[in-house]
Amino acid sequence: MSEKLRLPAEDSFASELKALAAGEGHRPPGWALSPRQVVTYLMGGTAADGTAITPKYVGDKRLIETAVATLATDRALLLLGVPGTAKSWVSEHLAAGITGDSTLVIQCTAGTDENQIRYGWNYAQLLAHGPSREALVPTPLMRAMEGGKLCRFEELTRMGSDVQDTLITVLSEKMMPIPELNSAVYAQRGFNVIATANNRDKGVNELSSALKRRFNVVVLPLPDSAQQEVSIVVKRVGEMAQNLDLPAPKNVAEEVARVVAIFRELRSGSTEDGKVALKSPSGGLSTAEAIAVMVGGISQATFFNDGELTAETLASNMIGAVVKDPVQDTAVLGEYLETVLKKKRGFEGYYASLTDLI
Amino acid sequence: MAGDIHLFGIRHHGPGSARRLVQALDALKPVAVLIEGPSDASELLPMLADPDMVTPVALLTYAEDNPAHASFFPFADYSPEYQAACWAVRHGATLRFIDLPASDRLGSSASDIAEEIAARSEEDPVSRDPIGALATAAGYDDGESWWSDVIEENPATGPVFAAVADAMTALRAQEKPLSAREAAREAHMRIEIAKAAKECEGAVAVVCGAWHVPALAERRSLSTDRELLKGRPKAKIKATWAPWTAPRLARASGYGAGVVAPGWCAHLWETREGDRVALWLARVTRVLRDRGHFVSTASVIEAQRLGIALAALRERPSPGFEELREAAIACLCNGERAVWDDVAAELLIGAGVGSIPPSTPLAPLLDDLQRQQKATRLKPEALERALTLDLRSESGLMRSTLLHRLGVLDVPWGRLTDAGRSRGTFRENWQLRWEPEFAVRLVENLLYGSTIAEAAGGRLIEAMSKEAELGALASLVRNAMIADLPRATESGIAALETKAALTSDGQALLDALPPMADILRYGEARAGTVEHLAALMPRIVVQAAIALPYASRNLDGPAASKLRGAILAADTAIQLAQLEADIVARWREALTALLHDDQTTRLIAGTAARLLYEAELLAADHTADLLARMLSPGTPVAEAAGFFEGFFEGAGQRLIHDAALRSAVDGWLLALPDDAFTASLPLFRRVFSALDRNERRRLMDVLFGRGTGGAKGYRLVPDAGAVWPPHEARVLALLKVGAAQ
Repeated sequence: MSEKLRLPAEDSFASELKALAAGEGHRPPGWALSPRQVVTYLMGGTAADGTAITPKYVGDKRLIETAVATLATDRALLLLGVPGTAKSWVSEHLAAGITGDSTLVIQCTAGTDENQIRYGWNYAQLLAHGPSREALVPTPLMRAMEGGKLCRFEELTRMGSDVQDTLITVLSEKMMPIPELNSAVYAQRGFNVIATANNRDKGVNELSSALKRRFNVVVLPLPDSAQQEVSIVVKRVGEMAQNLDLPAPKNVAEEVARVVAIFRELRSGSTEDGKVALKSPSGGLSTAEAIAVMVGGISQATFFNDGELTAETLASNMIGAVVKDPVQDTAVLGEYLETVLKKKRGFEGYYASLTDLI
Repeated sequence: MAGDIHLFGIRHHGPGSARRLVQALDALKPVAVLIEGPSDASELLPMLADPDMVTPVALLTYAEDNPAHASFFPFADYSPEYQAACWAVRHGATLRFIDLPASDRLGSSASDIAEEIAARSEEDPVSRDPIGALATAAGYDDGESWWSDVIEENPATGPVFAAVADAMTALRAQEKPLSAREAAREAHMRIEIAKAAKECEGAVAVVCGAWHVPALAERRSLSTDRELLKGRPKAKIKATWAPWTAPRLARASGYGAGVVAPGWCAHLWETREGDRVALWLARVTRVLRDRGHFVSTASVIEAQRLGIALAALRERPSPGFEELREAAIACLCNGERAVWDDVAAELLIGAGVGSIPPSTPLAPLLDDLQRQQKATRLKPEALERALTLDLRSESGLMRSTLLHRLGVLDVPWGRLTDAGRSRGTFRENWQLRWEPEFAVRLVENLLYGSTIAEAAGGRLIEAMSKEAELGALASLVRNAMIADLPRATESGIAALETKAALTSDGQALLDALPPMADILRYGEARAGTVEHLAALMPRIVVQAAIALPYASRNLDGPAASKLRGAILAADTAIQLAQLEADIVARWREALTALLHDDQTTRLIAGTAARLLYEAELLAADHTADLLARMLSPGTPVAEAAGFFEGFFEGAGQRLIHDAALRSAVDGWLLALPDDAFTASLPLFRRVFSALDRNERRRLMDVLFGRGTGGAKGYRLVPDAGAVWPPHEARVLALLKVGAAQ
């Protein structure tokens, strides 16, 4: 038993990867599995020897196929989506499946600079011996290029646009010049880049179109069906409540179903039966936010309401998630309450408390 | 000597089938080509090769006594049947339809057909689209891709059709027995094939749905087949060609034998293997660029690479439209599905409209018109004639409906002379005049349906789907309702619902209310049902009520007076429509909110105050207080004047009769400083100019306390309380004296 809090994907699912790798199939250079086996690894199924492969991504198989095919054409892959759509999860598993190494990650932030993308210097070496390969400190990107592996960029759009553009040469010419040494690092076959980015957040740096053009973009959507989403929320809420030592109230599942139903209707701009069209609030209302509402509600119930999870406690949490723009979103929510929720059976509590709150 | 029979099992509207079939026919050189289609329409078949015939077109057969009872048999460029017919005409081969005659289907009673449709949907999807079923089983989105992957890869022509026949035999072995109609169809085809084989010397090509191949190849005695055909229904039918559209070839349009993506099928037919993918992506790029999206050539190259990689990943020989769709989304649309959806319809469905040669036999719409003219006893006359209709009588209603429907079809035989006023009444006045070109215009509508009612409905539905304005949409719905077109009315109301929900513009929502109230009232005068609308109108009222407070802020002059007009009209509409009390209350609450919100533009606040006052929700003394406050010296004159205008414009009469209101206004006016008064003079003129001379005089009179005769002239003197007791004493004394005498 490992003492690590969390193992990388290739270690947690080592047996599945091994079983898949035992199968036949044409592998692009540098790939541990064939593209088909990678798709099976992500979507679940059985390996050639009958080992069951658990699904890593629940959703549209076509998206994963597009992602894998993109990486097979040596084009870089950009996974876009609102928070909580499993972008990083998919990127980690793609890297684990394709090269067996998902640890070459660069977490991009506003403070990320070029040295963290290209290479840094070991200043002691630099001062002692002058510029040399030994004085270079390789970044995950550089190591991936040299080793023919996949490099992952998390939240690509959070770093400054000028820093992002460092990637342009790497992506189109598959090489990184080191002008200080008058040399360059050439990518080995199998090298590629998977980036994730959030397409809903404000305050991020737009990708320049030159860089965007070098990515094939796959947008990961929010869950398709209500059941799928409810089960994701119930599972995650359970895990998070456990982490926070919150006792889960009995009626969590029912309330999750209601909260998810409201979120889905507002987000999709129509009622679940498709009969009434609605306006959507300016916020994203992602699955992750539904989870946050539930956890907030449970915490409030535990500490202030004798552990009883009610519509009122959830409604006050929900307001924060729905109303991001005080004028516009209040009107949108008001309209939704009056035209839809008022008549919806089982939602009387939500209607009453939400109406009180706005 | 009997002819040599060759069966070609095809996929309806399958470009792969069509290409293979033409090759096979070129090789076989048959003397007769038999096609699965209504045998009593055979004489129309050679017209397909007419140079004026532009696909898509449909063979239209309809019952002579009831054109609504019709069936369509569409042909596209890439339909194997169309190619077979053209081939036969080009090569002078005998050309014939061999399926059960249309009179059989059209003669069946409605219940038989309903049964058959039910049975067919049960059989789904194997018998309807057997190749599609095989494709689905193999994990494909559409049969065409599977067909081209599996069949077109095969270099030899002969074995292709033999392989299809084998597959169908296997599929049919597991099916339950055929319905009586299906059995009769196959029996009829067998008989016809045998007949043709006897007549012709040489090869006979039979082009039929792949599904039927095993049954037609079977050897059965003619007498058993004849037995099957006994007692089949019959009806007098007419057949003609009708122009068709590409969207109606799509399965999504409800055409059972349709294809998923007619646009892709056409592309498959028009292009050859080598550059097909590049040409398709070039089309995608062109459409995207036309819509203002930036797409670079480098991205197109990447899209092609990704498409090919995806096809390889899915183990397909070449990319189908699914792979190219995903490649286009990832490379050309920046992953945004919405961008793709925006262009998908144009690319995958297409917008092509067919046309038919002028020599086509009589169109069913004219037929229908003649029948209806007879039924309503309206004769087309070239001279203008006035006609008054009473909608309460059945004949009046029928005539009015016919004229309204023709109006929808752009055949203005009748013109309503009092269009504005007739709504909600039982009388309509028409001017009738028939012009010869109306017949031509009517025939053009064949695209929308085979009867006047159907065509009018179809045309309105199309117009509704294109209409962007809520108010205009509502009046289209009104037209549909007047013309008694329930399907169009329903789809219009659905469109209205969607559009209303997505509109956050208070003005637009308010604008939709008056026509809707009209419809509700008019719907009562007619036999039509207005249930949906009755549910929709309250929703729009509620939405408007919610949107109103935000819509009324920070408006400039013209915008404010436009909104004011809309609010007044909407209020009238809400009262007319007699909505439920809580909806009206919601509306009034919104008005109250307007009044109490300091940010509301004053003109609108004044309007709201006036409506509330009229609804007696604002007590007279309250109103006087409110006016006094709004018009008090502390308020900037421009704001006060705005409120004043909002309250009084068009309601000057109130001032004459409402003393409390009058004195509040009077007080405000007198307290105005001179320059402010002068500045507001144009406003006052505007408000009071709505009164006529007489009314203005009466207002002056009440203000200056002059009696103008009648009870209204009396006025209480200021110190009546003090003066009255001595007067009373005098009067009583005089009366006493009188009584004593």
